[in-house]
Amino acid sequence: MKKPRPWLAPAATLVIAVAMWFYPDLVDAAGWPIFYLLFAYTVFFWTAQASSWNLFTGFSGYFSFGQGAFYGVGVYTVGVMVVKRGWPLLPTFLVGGILAAALGLSIGLVVFRLRRLRGEIFALMTLAVAFVLGAVARISSTIDGGQGIPLSSVPTPEALGTHPQMIFRLGLITAVLAVVVAQVVQHSRLGWGLFSIRDDEDVAETLGVPTFRFKMIALGLTGFLAGLSGAVHALQVSYVTIEEVFNIRVPLMVILMSILGGTRHWMGPVLGALVVHTMSDRLNRAGLEAVSDIIVGALLILMIVAMKEGLYLRMRQRPLITAIGAAVGVAGGFVLGPLDSAVTHLGYTLLGAVLGAMIPVGSRRQRPERGAPAAQAIEEVVGG
Amino acid sequence: MADLRFENLVKHFGGVHALDGVSGHVGEGEIVGLVGPNGSGKSTLINVLSGHYEADSGKIVLDGEDITDRPAHRIIEMGLARTYQIPRPFSTMTALENVSVPLMFGSEPMSPGAAREAALEWLEFTGLDAYADEPVSSLNLHQLKYLELARALAARPRLVFLDEVLSGLNPAEVNESIEMVRRIHASGITIVIVEHLVRVVTSLATRIMVLDRGRVIADGDPTEVMRQPEVVTAYLGKRAQSA
Amino acid sequence: MSLWAQSIVSGLLSGGLYAMMSLGMSLSWGVLKIINLAHFSFILFSGYITYQLAFSYGWDPFLAIVVCVPVFALAGMALQWVFDKLRISEFESLLLTFGLFIIFESVTSAIWTADFRRMDTVQNPYQSQSVWLGDLALPVPQLAAFLVALVIALGTRYLMDRTDFGRAVRALSQDRDIARAFGIDPHRVAMQLAGLAAGFAAIAGVFVAMSRALFPGLAVEWFGIVFSVVILGGLGSTLGTLIAAAIVGVVGGIATVIGGPPLAPLAIFLVLIATLLFRPQGIMGRSAT
Repeated sequence: MKKPRPWLAPAATLVIAVAMWFYPDLVDAAGWPIFYLLFAYTVFFWTAQASSWNLFTGFSGYFSFGQGAFYGVGVYTVGVMVVKRGWPLLPTFLVGGILAAALGLSIGLVVFRLRRLRGEIFALMTLAVAFVLGAVARISSTIDGGQGIPLSSVPTPEALGTHPQMIFRLGLITAVLAVVVAQVVQHSRLGWGLFSIRDDEDVAETLGVPTFRFKMIALGLTGFLAGLSGAVHALQVSYVTIEEVFNIRVPLMVILMSILGGTRHWMGPVLGALVVHTMSDRLNRAGLEAVSDIIVGALLILMIVAMKEGLYLRMRQRPLITAIGAAVGVAGGFVLGPLDSAVTHLGYTLLGAVLGAMIPVGSRRQRPERGAPAAQAIEEVVGG
Repeated sequence: MADLRFENLVKHFGGVHALDGVSGHVGEGEIVGLVGPNGSGKSTLINVLSGHYEADSGKIVLDGEDITDRPAHRIIEMGLARTYQIPRPFSTMTALENVSVPLMFGSEPMSPGAAREAALEWLEFTGLDAYADEPVSSLNLHQLKYLELARALAARPRLVFLDEVLSGLNPAEVNESIEMVRRIHASGITIVIVEHLVRVVTSLATRIMVLDRGRVIADGDPTEVMRQPEVVTAYLGKRAQSA
Repeated sequence: MSLWAQSIVSGLLSGGLYAMMSLGMSLSWGVLKIINLAHFSFILFSGYITYQLAFSYGWDPFLAIVVCVPVFALAGMALQWVFDKLRISEFESLLLTFGLFIIFESVTSAIWTADFRRMDTVQNPYQSQSVWLGDLALPVPQLAAFLVALVIALGTRYLMDRTDFGRAVRALSQDRDIARAFGIDPHRVAMQLAGLAAGFAAIAGVFVAMSRALFPGLAVEWFGIVFSVVILGGLGSTLGTLIAAAIVGVVGGIATVIGGPPLAPLAIFLVLIATLLFRPQGIMGRSAT
């Protein structure tokens, strides 16, 4: 029985974050393309969105299709308050997060009181609420009115560097915040309470878990983190429209990334975001956008059918073959090309690692077959 | 002190009167057996008393405090725990993790780390410590029932409702379980035990309540109660357990 | 006054199409416990096939039904077979079919591009034709959809009430194990039901192609409508689906008159939210314990 060390992950994350803070300076000094910053930012964005989504849905089992609502609130808070009302940028980020959290808590207040609103019904409800929010924003001219909001002329703080450097750093902050919160929650009583709610909410309640309170806290955290990340993202999107913001893409992507990476561990969404975005970015660049979507759909199916624990836990169980796969991937990258960008090499490496992990060779520990994957997963979680 | 009183509990499901005005009390240190034919309302009574269901009407008083509409997680804080007839472990956790959950909550909550340590004691009490790190899917029915017990006991109850802990077990397992119940009682916990095996309950319990179709039809000394004509009639024609 | 009357009539007629789209989903979710998001893909794909048959071969759109129904019925049966083999839970089916939905959308995009596809008046003469009831216009595609929906609903009702298949379906939805004990093969019945549901989706797709322009992202717009109808009507209930579809159609129609096209989906989603909050079992559903 390994002793868990809950402080290790957040500490390591913060150290890495501090190091990465200076990455833009490195890019500048080494003359690397600015794209490296923007690519990293997008990975940060998806990491923040997927981690925040997973914090509620992955941990508690209450499937939310409403991530778009939180993200949208964040984006539009900046759009409306900064552009239309001239508010200063940084405080508005926080306001975006708080408003999104308030939205989450309002939904929870209504929905969690009703016992019968479980499972798929809850999922539908979140889909409906997200849609209604978008529709209201479109209709209301104080918010959008169907016109959209241009964001290119927003004054940004100079201390953070040029626009790409600034966006990288802001994205870094939101991603690190979301990941560290997920780490802390996972090892806390809140996390265990959520896991037990996921397994059997009624039993959890009779064992003393304050289910209503915990679900509200988790949902509020999700809202805040997603809203904050959305608010920052407004700077990256030069023109905000309802169609762009309140569509199915954000909720779909966070679901895919979290399920792909694994919903039981904070690392799952991080890995999922990295893999999915790298892959779709490279494929889109090669003009294979349709292929990218098809692969996304196929991966989702594959996960549900064959790899419920997700990629991260699977890789942890098969470290050797994952490493071999990654090595093969790197080599394959040099052979197949194109050798244009470090991101392409990253893509090949990840692809190799993923395929390696998927090969059904025996895992490091022998475990009973029945119910093995998920149970193994929690074993791993507790162990580290 | 664990003095539980309930008055006129009523619970309907659609047109079915699962509980039709049930009253009774459980005093500290007792082992109260709750028996009755199928569908008499035994499990529903447990569910209502433990906060799993809300009663339609009636009152529940614990140590003088009205706990009728308290949510379940508050009721356990006050010292009432229950097990489930069909074991409901947290399926993705190990045995140890299952038992550590109630230790993190309730009246004396512990941190997850401390809870894991303390949980091992409860697994030892029920003889499951060898399975601490096993996923619950690898446990058989008897072990799962013991896990239910360990988990309920970890919540440090003063009174525990045991819902059909013996059902589905073979005779050897039944005897072991009876011993386990006696050990639990000996450690100072009041017990309400719901059971089909009347013979077993008569030997374990200090008092028996008999339910039939949502009503209490007898309440008192085990041997006397089981001889009362109404009780015999209630069981007549039903599958009488004669192990 | 006549604007209101027209909007109500148009709403009712739309309700026919909504019923066609939703009946398969209601049966599939209510009886088979499968939430099949690929159902929406079937509808759209069937629409595209209808378009292509008219565009390339001059087929009358109604004829497309002959092709689309068997193709998608088979697809539905195959999908159900896969679900049974993999023993997919209700929740997993939602995610899995989400994956299929994404793949389908990609494929339609690849084949037909993101451009709007609409049959012109030569290929689809019906789109500009209307039957007149006094002052009220009943456009032919919508009227035909409405009538066909009625026929399908009545047929399904008959199927469920009077045939062995229907009895098997009802037994299956109440208690799978007991049904099996009575000799009902749940896998076969499930496949047949899934095929039926997909067949309905195919028919709906044909009428969609007759009524409006197609584009790959169109299927997402139906989520709100279909889920509102299915939940409002009560899972598994044919009559409920019909009534709910009529209500949703009229609500959408009136909302469009009041606030323009953007208000219609908003109103319909509000119906869904209200149903989920106040009567999640729907009009015809039994109360959940």
